[in-house]
Amino acid sequence: MSDTEYIVEMKHVTKRFPNIVANDDVSIQVRKGEIYALLGENGAGKSTLMSMLFGMYQPDEGEIWVRGKKENIVSPSYATELNIGMVHQHFKLVSNYTIAENIILGMEPVRKVLGCIPVVDIKKANREISALSEKYGLQVVPTDVISDIGVSVQQRVEILKMLYREAEILIFDEPTAVLTPQEIGSLLEIIRTLRDGGKTIILITHKLEEIKQVADRCAILRRGRLIGVYDVAATSTKKMANLMVGREVSFDTEKPPAHFGKVVLQVENLTVRNEDRFEKVKNVSFCIHAGEIFAIAGVAGNGQVELADAVAGLVRPSSGRILLGGRDITEETVRGRAEAGLAYIPEDRQNCGLILDFNLKNNEALRKYYRAPFAVRSILQPPEFDSYAEKLIDKYDIRSSQGGDTVVRSMSGGNQQKAIVAREIEQDALLTIFVQPTRGLDIGAIENIRKQIVSERNKGKAIMLISLELDEIMDLADTIAVIYNGEIGKTAPAGELTTNEVGEYMMGVKHHEEA
Amino acid sequence: MKKHSGSAWKYLRISGISLLLGLLIGAAVIAVLGKNPFTAYYNLLQGCGFLEKEKYAGGRSQLSDLSSFIDYLTPMILAALSVAVAMKAGLFNIGISGQMLTAAFTATVLVGYSPLPAGIAKPLVLLIGAAAGGAAGALIGYLKYKFNINEVVSSIMLNYIVEYIVSFFIVTRFVDPISRQSRPVSDASRLTLSEIKISGIKYDIPLGFIVAVAASLLLAFILDKTVLGYDLKAVGANRRASGYAGIHVSKNILTAMLISGILAGLAGVTYYMGYVATIEPKTLSDVGFNAIAVSILGNNSPGGIFLASIVIQIIDKGATYMSSQQTLEVEIASVITSVILLSSACGLFYGEIGEKLRNARTAARKQHRGKEAAQ
Amino acid sequence: MNSIIIDGMSFTLPLFIMAIGGIYSERSGITNLALEGLQGMGAFIGALAAYIAVNCFGMPQGSAYYLAFLFAIIGGAVYAMLHALLCIRFKANQVISGVVINLLATSLTVFLTKSINKAAFGAASNKIDLGVSARYTVPGISNIPVLGAFFTDVYPFELIIVAAAFLAWFVMYRTPYGLHLRACGDNPHAADAAGLDVARIRFTAVMVSGALSGIAGMSFAYSIFAKFSGDLYVGYGFLSIAALIFGSWTILPTLGACMIFGFARSAGYQLVQMAGLPSAYSDLIMILPYVLTLILLMFFSKNNQSPRALGEVYDKARR
Repeated sequence: MSDTEYIVEMKHVTKRFPNIVANDDVSIQVRKGEIYALLGENGAGKSTLMSMLFGMYQPDEGEIWVRGKKENIVSPSYATELNIGMVHQHFKLVSNYTIAENIILGMEPVRKVLGCIPVVDIKKANREISALSEKYGLQVVPTDVISDIGVSVQQRVEILKMLYREAEILIFDEPTAVLTPQEIGSLLEIIRTLRDGGKTIILITHKLEEIKQVADRCAILRRGRLIGVYDVAATSTKKMANLMVGREVSFDTEKPPAHFGKVVLQVENLTVRNEDRFEKVKNVSFCIHAGEIFAIAGVAGNGQVELADAVAGLVRPSSGRILLGGRDITEETVRGRAEAGLAYIPEDRQNCGLILDFNLKNNEALRKYYRAPFAVRSILQPPEFDSYAEKLIDKYDIRSSQGGDTVVRSMSGGNQQKAIVAREIEQDALLTIFVQPTRGLDIGAIENIRKQIVSERNKGKAIMLISLELDEIMDLADTIAVIYNGEIGKTAPAGELTTNEVGEYMMGVKHHEEA
Repeated sequence: MKKHSGSAWKYLRISGISLLLGLLIGAAVIAVLGKNPFTAYYNLLQGCGFLEKEKYAGGRSQLSDLSSFIDYLTPMILAALSVAVAMKAGLFNIGISGQMLTAAFTATVLVGYSPLPAGIAKPLVLLIGAAAGGAAGALIGYLKYKFNINEVVSSIMLNYIVEYIVSFFIVTRFVDPISRQSRPVSDASRLTLSEIKISGIKYDIPLGFIVAVAASLLLAFILDKTVLGYDLKAVGANRRASGYAGIHVSKNILTAMLISGILAGLAGVTYYMGYVATIEPKTLSDVGFNAIAVSILGNNSPGGIFLASIVIQIIDKGATYMSSQQTLEVEIASVITSVILLSSACGLFYGEIGEKLRNARTAARKQHRGKEAAQ
Repeated sequence: MNSIIIDGMSFTLPLFIMAIGGIYSERSGITNLALEGLQGMGAFIGALAAYIAVNCFGMPQGSAYYLAFLFAIIGGAVYAMLHALLCIRFKANQVISGVVINLLATSLTVFLTKSINKAAFGAASNKIDLGVSARYTVPGISNIPVLGAFFTDVYPFELIIVAAAFLAWFVMYRTPYGLHLRACGDNPHAADAAGLDVARIRFTAVMVSGALSGIAGMSFAYSIFAKFSGDLYVGYGFLSIAALIFGSWTILPTLGACMIFGFARSAGYQLVQMAGLPSAYSDLIMILPYVLTLILLMFFSKNNQSPRALGEVYDKARR
């Protein structure tokens, strides 16, 4: 080992992508055995910076030094050789492989058949992984298949993957985004244990509390530039937040008290099966009033998306009834429901909410193009498309290079989402369903969209909000329902539940009201 | 729904590059075989009536070559439109040859061998061709949406099934003992006025060409200006988002394949009951496959297809004259066509290269400016 | 009954090895509609090699047979590189690429056959004659009723195929390479993050599909057709694609599917013969495998799980 105290140094690193400078002259130094946090908004360049350390991209300018030696990290496998490991935000797992197969992929223990033919020694792999999981307290069953296990177990698999490769420098990219508060707690505990075991941890996050809880030092990035490196113990959360955003931020969306009106959406005993005939939503009933934000909390994959799709008409429920404004819409088509007053901002904005290869004006007209004034006797009226798009672009501040003619694929994620929200709000519907409306957006866009949700509710619309971000739920909800395993376990007015209680319902620890 | 003119130019460039590459490789092959590629390509144009041949057989002229070229062009335009409309809806109709045969065989049997007068027979042929082709196309669409059968596999299966069934009936019922093909259809039912003599020169007047032009215009209108066109393109671009927008995805798949089949059917009757008057058993026409090349080369747009059809058909039709002049195998034409298609399939890659070059240029310019500022 | 099995197996096995080739390509994430062209190109190269060896170097037919298969494997693999190049390097649409590869194979092999025949042998011929391969019967076992038919009148290529199929199965499910290959077809990002070279794995997988298709094409050339010519392109490549689709991209069930085709075909021919129908009726028999394919696909396509990343262009640099 060299005499330098830093295990990783990135010096004056710059990385450009078409149309954007992701990292602009960034320099950081990480000490061996510390938990080093990278803090910044979405799009600040944290992930790009670490992707370069992990060899997925190469910097356009600047140098990377590992253990006092200048390295040209050309690929993830070279990074692995340097004992660098990374848990990506979107897990990189082969869904039809077992846990063991995923962990050993690319570094399989091999035995020779007939002295020369290499064969994967899966039994040995299973043994090694069991031993490893015991050593670090990361419980997994090596023979379980990835598609059958939950998100937090998958994360453990990702961590084991690094440990199996004998990583010393562990990079975590937004590791808590998909976890419940309880799971976050135990993950942070694991991270601490790893640090105490001599590993160096780099934690990418935009959540200040986590940094406060575990990190030693914290580098703040803003729009690709390094703002500064701070000692976490000596810096207040408020200060870090302001540095991250570059201005004063208010965390709480302003929200006057709710005035509930008539029941707008009534869901009765709704059951939804997926393609494999598996029940994803089980006998769910609830109702949403005018002027109410009804928020559904839950860990990903517990039936939220299916519930939203069923209400919006994208999938047929196998039983139950859906009433909108007192009218039974269970058998109604998607278009029929939209005309009856239902707007839907779907989770997958790129594959579902937008047609990326269409231009902006055609996307803004997606709900209305087939009827007057956009189409007269089935013939489209282009001027109407133009003027409508212009109106929405102005009103909702949608930014694009060529206005209504911009192909949506080329727009930023935030502006894509604005385009969807604009289109759906302009439907002036009775009920608007928001699924993960702020995921992946930067703080400015998040504030903007949250304000719009509240203002719609103030106008007397009914809002169904589905989010994995507990903060968002606690912040916006008038009523909180928790979905676990396809069932709504608890419904209560927002003030009556603490964050931790909601977390317990999300995990299924607490069940139905003790009645 | 105005298309952005920049993207039209981009595709024109890609097609141009593909064409050039195909012709270059073709030229190289011809040169390797010891012939002069320029003369060979000159022969291609001569063979189609675009340039004058040295001598003409009795009663023929450059104009009569041109008229038979247009006769040959007609089914290709229709077949390529058929590819395009399916492609717009995200479907790959490789069964056009089969649909052509289905339509042509049905029309041949029902009208071609009947004594109906021209005024009734010709429209009837078009009608029956469109209906039979449409039914064959719709069947593929139905198999896709009802049973989730990949349209490429099902249309290939149907191609073979049609080929053998038609062949069975021709051989057992309608064979001409000398030519071993189906008996020729009546002149009254034929869509090409074959060998019409005007002031001593013979022409082939393709009535179907009017249909092809009309179909191009109509399809352009449907795709660009109607709700149906919007629906089809939305389904082609993103099925999930279309479902989300309330567009009936499976209905549109069926509609697209129906239209595609109708166009293929029209291509079938203009080919088998226009350009020729008989059906050869156990063969599928190349038109249906080359149409894929034409459609891709023409960027799936009716206008582009019109131009691309002319180019590809010059290569294909001119090859006969070229091979007679140069003693080259006729198949050289399909080799050239394949290379053009191969090259146009890499369109995305050319686009990327273009983008890279542009980025490099802007980066260089920025750097340059940065340096200037520093000084 | 015996001849149904004998003819059935000699058709089933080439189909099967080609389908395994397709499985290799598609499990690695590359849609491969080019099998038809790959088998034709393989057969052409193999036939050419054998023809030259016999006619120019006086090699005995027996050895030329194996030489033909060797060159068919090489020819198929090399030609498959074009598909790999287009799909992986040039990011072409994989379906279109496959179709084009087929078109090019047909036109190029027929063109070359004619040109070479004319230039080298002075004959205006559009085929390369091979003759039908000799067949062998295993003494003893072949006398067992029904089962014995599997050991009667066996083409040597059937043995080559059985060996190649077993090897292909072993590599796919037991070796590190197989593990890597299947990972690329499910989640190339995961494979990449694990330090695997996705492009290279896919490239080799497509080449394997070419090599195995080459064996298939050569087998057809030595059995059904007794020559190489344009007639070889009768859609068997697409039949094997259909087989692998309702074998769910796994090797053993695909064998079952291929056997259904093989036996349907041979039983049909047997029927025409026994009923003493004119030869035109064999045209109707020819459609049996295709019709059967469609019917089976109706039942098996609905919930079919194709490899998750099949047909997607994998671009590392894309965020």
